[in-house]
Amino acid sequence: MHLLLIGVSHRTAPIELRERLDFSARGLSEALATLAGRPSGAEAAVLSTCNRAEVYLACENLDRGRGDAEQFFADFHRLTHEELRPHLYAKTDAEAARHLFRVAAGLDSLVVGEPQILGQVKDAYGHANLQQTTGPLLKRLFTSAFTAGKRVRAETRLAEGAVSVSYAAVALARKIFGDLKDRTVLVVGAGEMGKLTALHMKSQGIRKMLITSRTATHAEGLAQAMEATVIAWDRLVGALSESDIVITATGASAPIISRPLVETAMRPRRHRPLFVIDIAVPRDVDPRAGNIEQVFLYNIDDLQAVVVENVSRRTAEVDQAEAIVTEEVDRFRNWMQSRGAIPTVVALRQRFEAVRRAELERLEPKLTGLSPEARARVDEVTRLIVEKLLINPTEQLKSLSDSETIAAYTDVLNRLFDLSRTGQADSSLQKELTAAFAAADRRAERPRSAPAKTSSSS
Amino acid sequence: MDPMNIVPLGLYLVAGLVYAVHFVGRSRPVGRAATTLLIVGALSHTFVIGMLTMQAGHVPFAGTTQAISTFVWLLALSYLYVEIATDEHAMGVFIVPLLVVLQAIPAFQPGAEARVSAVLESPWFGVHVSSLLFAYASFALAFVIGITYVLLFKEIKAKHLGFFYARLPSLEVLDKMNLRAVAIGWVFLTVGVLVGWVWASQARTAVDLDPRVQAMSLQDPKIFVALLCWAVYSFELYAQRAIGWRGRRAAWLSAVGFVIVLLNLVPVSYFFTKSHNF
Repeated sequence: MHLLLIGVSHRTAPIELRERLDFSARGLSEALATLAGRPSGAEAAVLSTCNRAEVYLACENLDRGRGDAEQFFADFHRLTHEELRPHLYAKTDAEAARHLFRVAAGLDSLVVGEPQILGQVKDAYGHANLQQTTGPLLKRLFTSAFTAGKRVRAETRLAEGAVSVSYAAVALARKIFGDLKDRTVLVVGAGEMGKLTALHMKSQGIRKMLITSRTATHAEGLAQAMEATVIAWDRLVGALSESDIVITATGASAPIISRPLVETAMRPRRHRPLFVIDIAVPRDVDPRAGNIEQVFLYNIDDLQAVVVENVSRRTAEVDQAEAIVTEEVDRFRNWMQSRGAIPTVVALRQRFEAVRRAELERLEPKLTGLSPEARARVDEVTRLIVEKLLINPTEQLKSLSDSETIAAYTDVLNRLFDLSRTGQADSSLQKELTAAFAAADRRAERPRSAPAKTSSSS
Repeated sequence: MDPMNIVPLGLYLVAGLVYAVHFVGRSRPVGRAATTLLIVGALSHTFVIGMLTMQAGHVPFAGTTQAISTFVWLLALSYLYVEIATDEHAMGVFIVPLLVVLQAIPAFQPGAEARVSAVLESPWFGVHVSSLLFAYASFALAFVIGITYVLLFKEIKAKHLGFFYARLPSLEVLDKMNLRAVAIGWVFLTVGVLVGWVWASQARTAVDLDPRVQAMSLQDPKIFVALLCWAVYSFELYAQRAIGWRGRRAAWLSAVGFVIVLLNLVPVSYFFTKSHNF
C-alpha cells in the first residue's frame, strides 16, 4: 500500500485557481465520497484551506492512483487537465508524509508558524473519519502529523511573537495591562488600519470601545460596525483620560495630539498606564508625549520593527522545526515498511490455525463422548496454545523495519512452515490484523521518547 | 561550617542554577524542575528548623544567625506560594540567589546556640520575631518583583522588546504583586513592632533588668532602622492609595525599603545594636 498526495498550494497556484479549487464550496462530503468510490483504493482525505487544496490517498498502484486523483481534481472542479497540471504537485509515501507534517507544523504556511493550520488539518481528518474514508494508513499519517505539529509548537519558538502590526499591538497591550477584559479602547480617526487594530483588540474581550473622528459621520459609521460609542471631537481629552489604549489613525497632516494634551489627560488618571498606538502616517501624536511617565507610545515604525524582529526570530527556528519533522517522517517511514511483514504474519497464523483445526477434526471420534462444556474447553485450550506460540514471532515480525530483513525473515518462515501451501491470505483476516497492528502501534506510541521500533536484525 | 544548614544551601544553589537555565531557555520542563528543586530545598530547610526547634524547645530565632536561616526559610516558602499562585517561574532567578547568599551565613558561620536568656522566655518573643521575619520575607519578594517591573518597564518604554519582554509577566501583574507583597509585609511589620514595644515596656518592670532591655529605645540602631522601614513602606502604601503612585515609583520604594531591611538584618544586627544582640 502506498501513500499519495496530489494538490495545489499558494506556492504553486495563483489565488484565482485556488479559489476555483476550494472544496468547501461544493462540499467536502461529496468530494470524499467520490474519492472513496474510485477503483484504485478506498482511503482518502481532503485538506482544503484558502492557501491549499490537497488530496491524500492510500493506493496499491501509484500510477493509477495519480491518474484517478488528477481526473478527480479536473472533474470535480470542472477544469481541464491543461489548466490544472502545471500547478499540481504529487508526492508519494514518506515525501507525502513529510509534506503533510510540514503543513501541520506551519512550515509550509504563507506566514511561517501561523497557528490555525493545525486545526485545519485536524478538521480535514475529522471530516474523512466522519465519512469513513480513512483506514490504517491515513489514520497513522494524520495522527503523526498532529504529533509533528504539536512538537514543533512545544519544542520550538516557530509560532512565537506577533508577525503583523495589529497583532504586535495587541501583544504589547497584553504585556502592559495583562488581561484586556476591563480595558477601554479609544479609536481616533476612522481609517482602515485603525479599524483592523481595534477589531483585534475587540477579540480580546475589551470592556468598552470609544470612537472619535473629526468627521462625525465617519465615526458613526465605524461605531455601528464595531458596537462602539461615538465621542464628540471636542471631548478628546476626556476620552483620553477615560481610556487605557488609544489607537490613532487619522489622515491629519500634523500631530493632533500634543504632549500638553496628553499631560492634561493623564492628570485625572492617577498614573494609570496609557498605551498609545499611533499608526497614522504622518504621525498623529507628538513623539515627545512618549516621555511622560506611564505613557507608552508606539508608532507604525516601532510596531513594524517589532514585527521584523519576530519574523527573523521565527526564521531562526525553522531548522529546528524541520529536524523535528524529519524525525517524525523517519518514524512514519519505519512504520510503513514494517507493514511489509503483514502478509507473512497472516500466513503464519493461518498455517497454525489450519494445523489446529485439522488435529481437532482428527480427534473428533475420540471427543464425541465429552460434554459440550468439555469440548468447548478443548477448543479453547488449543486456541490459547496457538496464540501463545505466535505472540513472540508476531511481535518480532512487527518490529522489522527494513525491507531486506523482512524479505529474509519471510523466506525463512516460508521454508520452515511451508507457508506457500496455505495459499492467498484471506482478506478479512488481513483487515483484522492490520487493525490490530494499528492498535498496537498506538499503544507503543504513547511514551513518545521511546526510540522508533528497534530493529532486531544486524 | 554547619552541616545542617549546608544541605538546604546546596539545594537552593542548584535550584538557582536551574532557574537561570529556565530563564534563558524558557523550557517548561526545566521550569518545573527548578520549582521541584526549590520545594525540596525548602522541605529540607523545614526539617533543619524543625530539628533545631526540638533541640532548643522553641523556634530557632534567638540569635541573629539563626534568625537569618529562619528568614530564608520563610522567604522560600512565600516565593513558592507566589509561584504556585501565578504559575510563573521567571522570577525564581531573582529570588533564589538572595536565598543562597543569606543562607550562606548560617551555613558557614553558625553562631553558638545562644543560651536562651531569661528575657526571651516570654510568649511575646515568638510573635515578635516571627511576624518581623515574615514581614521581611514579604519585603524581599516585593523588592525582587519591583526590580523585574523596572526591567520590563524600561524595555517597553525604550521600544526594545527583548529578553525580559519575552520572559516576564505583564506590568500590571508585577505592579499588583509588588503592592500586595508590601501590604502583607506592612501588616506583619506593624504587628511585630507593636508587640516588641509592649513586650519591652513589660520587661522594664522586671526585677533583674537585662542591660539590653535598657537599651531599647529609639536611639538603638536596630529599632530606629525598623521604624524607618515602617515609614518607607507606609509611605509607599499611602502614596499608592492617595495619589496613585504605582508602577515604577512603587517599585523603587520597594527597593529602597528592602535595602534598609537587609541593612537591619545583617550589619546592624551583628555590629551596631545594643538592644537586640541575643
